[in-house]
Order: sequence, then C-alpha cells, then structure tokens
Amino acid sequence: MKRRTFLGAAAAGLAVASVPAPLRGLVGERAAPWLLVPMDEGQGDHLKAYGVTFRSLERGQKSEWLLNYRNGSFLLPADAATVRDCALSGVTTEPASEGEVGRIRAEIGQGNMDAIPLEKAPKVAVYAPPNAAPWDDAVTMALNYAGVHFEKVWDREVFEGGLTEYDWLHLHHEDFTGQYSKFVINYAGAAWLTEMMERNRSMAQTLGVPSVPAMKRAVAQAISQYVDRGGFLFAMCTATETIDLALASEGVDIAASYADGSPMDTGAAGKLDWSRAFAFQEARLELSPTTAVFSDIDGHQVNSPERRQPLGSFTLFNFSAKIDPVPAMLVQNHRQVIPDFYGLTTSFSRRALKPSVTILADEPGAPWAKYIHGHHGQGTWTFFGGHDPEDPQHQIGDAPTDLSLHPHSPGYRLILNNVLFPAARKKELKT
Amino acid sequence: MKQLRQPMLMAALLFGGVGGASAQQTATPGPLTRAQELERRGNHAAAAAAYAEVLAASAGDASALLGLERSLDPIGRTGEVLPHARTAVGAMPNAVVYPVLIRSFMRIGEPDSALAAAEAWARLAPREPSPWRELSTAAMRQRNRPLARRAIESARERTGQEHALAYEMAQLLAAEGNWSGATLEWLAAIGELPGYQLTALAALTPAPERTRQQILETLEKTLTLDARRLQAPLMARWGNPRGGAEQLLSGLTTASRAAAAEALTRFGEQLRSFPTPEAQRARAMVLEELAARSSGVAASRARLEAARAYQEAGDRDGARRMLGNVGTDADAAVTGSAAATLIGVLVDDGRMEEAEEKLAETAPRLVTEERQALTRRIAWGWVRAGKLDDASRMLAAGSTVEGIAMAGRIAIFRGDIAAGVTHLRMAGPYAGSREESTERTALLALLQPIEGDSLPELGAALLALERGDSSRAASALERIAVPLPPEKGGAELRLLAGRIERMRGERGSAERLLRAAASEAAPATAPAAELELARLLVTLERQVEAITLLEHLILTYPTSALVPQARRLLDETRGAIPET
Repeated sequence: MKRRTFLGAAAAGLAVASVPAPLRGLVGERAAPWLLVPMDEGQGDHLKAYGVTFRSLERGQKSEWLLNYRNGSFLLPADAATVRDCALSGVTTEPASEGEVGRIRAEIGQGNMDAIPLEKAPKVAVYAPPNAAPWDDAVTMALNYAGVHFEKVWDREVFEGGLTEYDWLHLHHEDFTGQYSKFVINYAGAAWLTEMMERNRSMAQTLGVPSVPAMKRAVAQAISQYVDRGGFLFAMCTATETIDLALASEGVDIAASYADGSPMDTGAAGKLDWSRAFAFQEARLELSPTTAVFSDIDGHQVNSPERRQPLGSFTLFNFSAKIDPVPAMLVQNHRQVIPDFYGLTTSFSRRALKPSVTILADEPGAPWAKYIHGHHGQGTWTFFGGHDPEDPQHQIGDAPTDLSLHPHSPGYRLILNNVLFPAARKKELKT
Repeated sequence: MKQLRQPMLMAALLFGGVGGASAQQTATPGPLTRAQELERRGNHAAAAAAYAEVLAASAGDASALLGLERSLDPIGRTGEVLPHARTAVGAMPNAVVYPVLIRSFMRIGEPDSALAAAEAWARLAPREPSPWRELSTAAMRQRNRPLARRAIESARERTGQEHALAYEMAQLLAAEGNWSGATLEWLAAIGELPGYQLTALAALTPAPERTRQQILETLEKTLTLDARRLQAPLMARWGNPRGGAEQLLSGLTTASRAAAAEALTRFGEQLRSFPTPEAQRARAMVLEELAARSSGVAASRARLEAARAYQEAGDRDGARRMLGNVGTDADAAVTGSAAATLIGVLVDDGRMEEAEEKLAETAPRLVTEERQALTRRIAWGWVRAGKLDDASRMLAAGSTVEGIAMAGRIAIFRGDIAAGVTHLRMAGPYAGSREESTERTALLALLQPIEGDSLPELGAALLALERGDSSRAASALERIAVPLPPEKGGAELRLLAGRIERMRGERGSAERLLRAAASEAAPATAPAAELELARLLVTLERQVEAITLLEHLILTYPTSALVPQARRLLDETRGAIPET
C-alpha cells in the first residue's frame, strides 16, 4: 500500500469512527460516495437542506445544484460531517453510487434540467438594526432556521465601506426614505417607534448627516455601488420599494416633515431620476404623510383602506435551466403556486417595472408581479414582495413565526434559493 | 329613543327613495341588473362601467351610485365616484347620496369639501346627527382626528344632544389615548343603546396596561349598573375576576330583580370561558347571588351550578354550602346532579364512608353510566386514602373497561405486577379520559422490561406517588432500581425517579438519575432519559451540554419517536427558532 493511500484510508477510518453506529453504513469505503438531497415532496425538511448544503460548502466541499431535477435537488459528497449534519437536521438523503450519479446526469442532459456546480459558501450580511430580533425578518428567520451563518451590518458599517467584505446582502424591511415606515402619526407614543426614531436620529448625528432621510439615501447609494461592483442584493417587503425611491430622489425632498423638518416637495414626483433605481420607474408618490404607503409601486396597498387589494396566489415561472440558469435557480421549488402574503410592500405594479426586469413570479391576470430579478452593473438584485410567507396578514406585535412548524414552506424556499445562488460557479451564470 | 326614531324616519325615506328607483328599474331593468350581476361575479371594472351607465341615464339612482362606489373600491379607482356623487346630490339630495359624496371627498384628500357637503346635508335635516356621523366616520378612516372631533362636536351642538355620536366619540378618544374619556363615552353609548355593551367591552379590553387603572377608576366613580356591568368583565379579562364579581355584586343593591338577574347571568357566562380557579370562584359567587335572587327550580339549578364552580375552584366548603340548599322542589335531574357533585366533594374531602352512603342513597335516581363513574371515583378515593381493599370492594360489582383498568392499577399498587399488566392490557388503550389512557400506557412502558411478577416495594412506591408523596416515591424507585440491569427495568425506574426529582426541583438528584437512565444498554429508555436530561440542562442554562446531548440522541437513536421533539429542542437551544 502506498503511503498516501494508507494515510487516506486511515483518515477515512477516523472519519467513520466519528460517526455514530446507526449512520456508519452511509460513510466509509463501502458506502456510496454521494448523497442526493431530494427536494421534492419526499424531503423531510426543505429549508434545512439549504443549510446542510451551505455548511458543506463552508467545509470546502464541492456540491451541485440539480436544477429542475426532483424540484431542485442537491448532490453532496457523502463525507462523515455531511452525513452527520443531515441526520441532525432531519434532512432526507439518498446514498448515490457513481453509477447512480451517472444515470442522474444522463436524465438531466435530456430534459429541461441542469447541474450547477456550487463552489464557495457566500459571505452573507443582513442590513438590520443592531437590536433587531431574528424573528423580525423573514430572511433572518430562514437563515437561523437553516443554520446559515450571517453577520449584521448597519448604517455605520455601510458608511465605512464595510459591504465590500460580503458576497450577499439582504435588506431587513427598512424604509430607505427615512420616514420610519410612515408609522409616526398612527403609532405615536409606541415605545418601539420612539426607540427606532431615537436610534436613527442619533446615528445620523454621529455620522454627521443632516437628517435621517439623508442618511438612508446615502446608505441606499452605498448599496447601489456595492451591487454595481458585483454584489448580490436581496430585499423583501418595503426595502424593495423604498430603496428605489431613495435612489431616484437624490436632491429631491420626498420625506414628510416629521422625518426631516421640512414638508415633502409637492412637485417631487416630476423630479425623480429613475435611471438611478434598480427596478422601478415612473411611480407616483403617496402624498399623505399619515398613510403608510410610499407610492403606487406596491400593487396591494395594504395600509390604504380604499386601495387595498385582496391576497391571491402567485405562480412561479418555469425557466430553461440550461439557457437561463440564474432565474431557474431562483425559482426552484416543490410548489409552483404559492399563497400570497402581505407586507408594507406586497407586490410590484407591472406598470412601474423597468423593461429590463425579469419577472420570476406573478399572480396570473393581476396587474402586479411578486418576485423580480435584474442586473445592476456587475451585480444582481432580487426583490420579493411581502413580509412573512407563513404569516400572510402579519401585524405589528404578532407572535414570531416558528419555522420548525413550516419546514416545507415554499415561500421560505424562495428566500433560501437566493442565499445559495451566489455559490454557483460564475461562468455558469449566463443571464 | 328620540335619537333612534329620527334615523328610522330617515330609513323610511331612504326605502321610499329606493322604492322609487325600483319602479324605475321595472321600466329599464337591463343596465342596473347587469351591473349588479357583474359585481356579483367580481368583474368590478365592468360593473363600475355598467353602474356609470345607469347613472348617466338617472343621476340620482341611489342603488347605482352605491354600486359604483362598491365596484370602484377593489380596483383602486374610488376617486372616480366623485363626479357621479356630485351630480346625484344635485339631482336627489338625500341620506344615501350625501354619504357617498362625503366619503369621496375624504378619499381624495379634500376634507374641507367633505365638511361643506356635511353642512349642506345638515341644512336639509338640521336635528339629525347622520351628516356628522358620516363625516366623523370618514375622517376617522383617513385618521383625520381633528375633523372627526369637529364633526362630533357639531352634531352635539346642532342636535342639542349632549351625548350624540357617543360611539364615534369613544373611538376617537381611545385613538387619542384618552381612555378615561372614551370610557365615559362608551357608558353614554350603552345608555342610549344597551347593545353596545359587548362592543364597549371589546374596544376597552385591549387598552394599554398603564391605562387600565384609570379606566377602572372612571367606571367606579360612575354609580350605575351599566358601569358595573362593564367594569366586572374588564377586571376579569385583566386578571382579577374575583374583584370583578365583587364590583358587580356591590352594584346590584338598587337594581331591579330582572336587571340584576340579567347582569349576573351574563357575567356568569362570560366567566365560564376562563379556566382558572380564581375565575371559577368568581363565577360561583355570581351564581350564588343569582340563586339567592331566584326561586324554585331556577334557584336550585343556580345553586347546583354554583356548587360545581366552587368545586372547580377548590372551595369544597362553598360547594357543600350550595349543595345543602338545593331545594326539595328541584326536579329529579337537578337533585341527581347535586348528589353527584356532593359525592365528588366528599371524595375530595376524604370522607369516603359518607360518599358511599350518599351514592347508595342516590343510586336509584342516577343513570347507569353516572353511577358507575361515581363508583370509580369513590374507589379511587379509597386508593388515595391508601385503602386498597376498600377500593377493590367498590369495583367488585362492576365490569366496565374503565373499572378493569382501575383494577389493574390497584393490583400494581399491591405489588402484583403480572395481574396488573394483564388487566391494563385487557382494558386496552382507549378506556377513560385521554389523561388516564396516557397514564396507563406510561405505566405499561415502565413495567414491561421488569421480569418479576411480584414487586410489593414497587407497588408501594407507585402508590406513594399516586398519593402525592413524591419524595418517598422517588427514593423508593431509585432503591428498587439498584439491583436491576438497565435493560430489565433499572433504566425505566431511574427515568421515572429522575422526572419526579425534576418536578420537585431537586435538580442535582434529577441529573444523576437521568444520566444513569440514559444507558445505551436500554435503548428503549435512553432517548427519553436524554431528552429529559437535555430539558433539565437547558433550564440550568447549560446549553452547550444540552446541545451535545440532543445531537447524541438524534444520531444514536435516529428511529426513536422522540427525535422530532429532540430536533425542536435543539433548534430552540441553538436559537434557530423562537422559544415556546
């Protein structure tokens, strides 16, 4: 036996020894070299499957995302750590021999499927206030539940150029117009609102910015530059709409007087420069400072009793895995039709979308899209309307969602598709 | 009633107007019917166009105008109703079209125009509060509180009614954080229309905690039965049901018999949904008062209900006092139920002989199932008293499945494990309540690996546990476990002892016992022991150890039924999901 072979066998033996007896058949020389993580109805925990794949990448393993094969399955090396992780997480796996993997590849080659190599776990940041609980935001809930490591950044880190350290950025449901989600009048006196206003004002003062709206616009511009230089941006709820409003309104006062001490410019709508925005154009601004609506970008207008639209269901588009792998990755799911859910921004009016935007999901027949994607410079952005896919009528003060009760949530799967998508090998990203 | 009569007149006028429209419909039935059908099908845009067509032909058609407003709302085009409303007001100014005009102005952000429309309407009906109600409601919907207040004050000034639009004012004041003022307005609204009682209760219940005392003080200063009737359930909902009952009882002195009975009955019903002993005691007090103010069968029924409530509250003296007064004039069902309740009280008191005598005396009036249930209850009372022979004697005549299950447990308490297991298996998993069924299954799981047919010491330990002597039970179980191998019952007995010690707060002892129970030699017991131990470690804030243990459980016993619970606790401990 050559020394290298001997050492390899010894290492394998040690790895096997670290695996509890009931799992030993899944690792070692005689075991199958691959684990197929099916993502169809047979999966025990769809959300944690993403975490298992992510951690496998973090350990330096190479994986593959089998687009459209059994609803977007993963192919992972059957090392001891991965076997253990799957067992702990309740993730269903199927041992796959080289022959079996060959058969899968042949099947993929013949249909609207593709195998995308996943090479490196992206470094994930979430733009969120330092005191935000993980349960405040669907993405942090999904990341925590799946076990995907992330770091929080806030205004100071963004101002100091800290975004360059990260591959992927999620925007907590932030109001980038700096108007505290326009809750100031209706929730006046509420402790959480007072605290939020105080924290933001104090941060603006510390950073030497004249007002909170000005600070948030500067943050939005820094995020835009981050994407322009190749970053991956994911946003949900009101962050989607307000970041574009903030970007388009450079030099124009679109904030109510309670936010910056001066009333909104009545002619603001005509002065917006939409070329700076990611996704939207020609939107009309909501002029009332008391209505918690920002513009007509949102199709559902949940906080306007006269304009509020009922919830329906949205349908994911079926993209060509071989020609359009990026949108195909973003829509991998075991459900094509998903119940809609409200947020401060629930959906995106088609009328307000830039022509270059790719619609990933919409409600058939409705004048809005739910889930959209596009490029900005060298990077990409994805916007997903709504607040919490498993709490369709989310209200302030509601009990947090417990994802262990929704391990197969198709809405949350869409969020996790976005987390894993930057791990795909760059050359494969054709669109 | 004056205030109510005027809206009725207005409604009559309105229906007259609509009737006129109907007559017109007969002449041209097509467009309006088509519009309504389109609206019914949810084709709002087409419905709106069809309604607009009707209005073009008949500008004052109230049905078409309301239909247009309804249809434009879901498609976000409510602003378009304004020109139609303006024309309609010109053609037929009445109580249907003016509200549409006011709402339209408010929606497009023209509050001054809305106010002018309300003024115009008010000139047609100067003593009528409706224009101002419509304006205040529309203003509140737009969160324009100053205008809402102005509308309500106008209504009061113009109509001369001090409390006109009290319902609207109550909501406005609550929105402004003036809960004391809102409370007074609610009382005024209830005074006008008692049906507002429940609405007021629902509106005041979510008041912020810091304002609750203020609300209660406002109610206390108001010396009316309406105030007491609002105060009592609010106190119950805010955690002081007994205080609520006392307040209500104190407010009944000047109330009429009928009003008092209504107030007591309603509050008693409201308390029924609160499962706490404190709420049941409050309910018992209310029912006792109701009984005192009733006569004949009604009084007996109220006393019986009060007795049950006192018993549920753990107040056996109260229950006995009520049962002693159940009248001889009560019907057979009431006396039978009273006797059954009394037997329960006697058993809880440990007065078993008296309970047996009462059962013998009452048995002819009871249905078979009720008699058997009481027999078992007395038998279990004998078990708790430690008198197993008397318990067996009670069960001897019966042959119900529940009786067999109980006989099995008694046999186990005697140490006759083989007979006990046989009886429990014979009874099956479904006899009795869910709790009894679960207890039996757990007992069988405990005894299954133990090989001895007769273990009097184990029976005595389990009996001690049943009688509430958990300390003695835990040490006896541990002692019995010593000579037994883990897989032959040693692990199961330690697991039970560990659980008892954990419940007793003896954490060190619990940890020692659970660690001993988590033996890989007893794979049927080890997952439960590890899960129990992990829970203990979490409460001791030793999360790292708990995580290691839970991972061990999941990986070592992947087919255990406890793995989902272990995964959930693992997620909670890691902070992956919110704590429950």
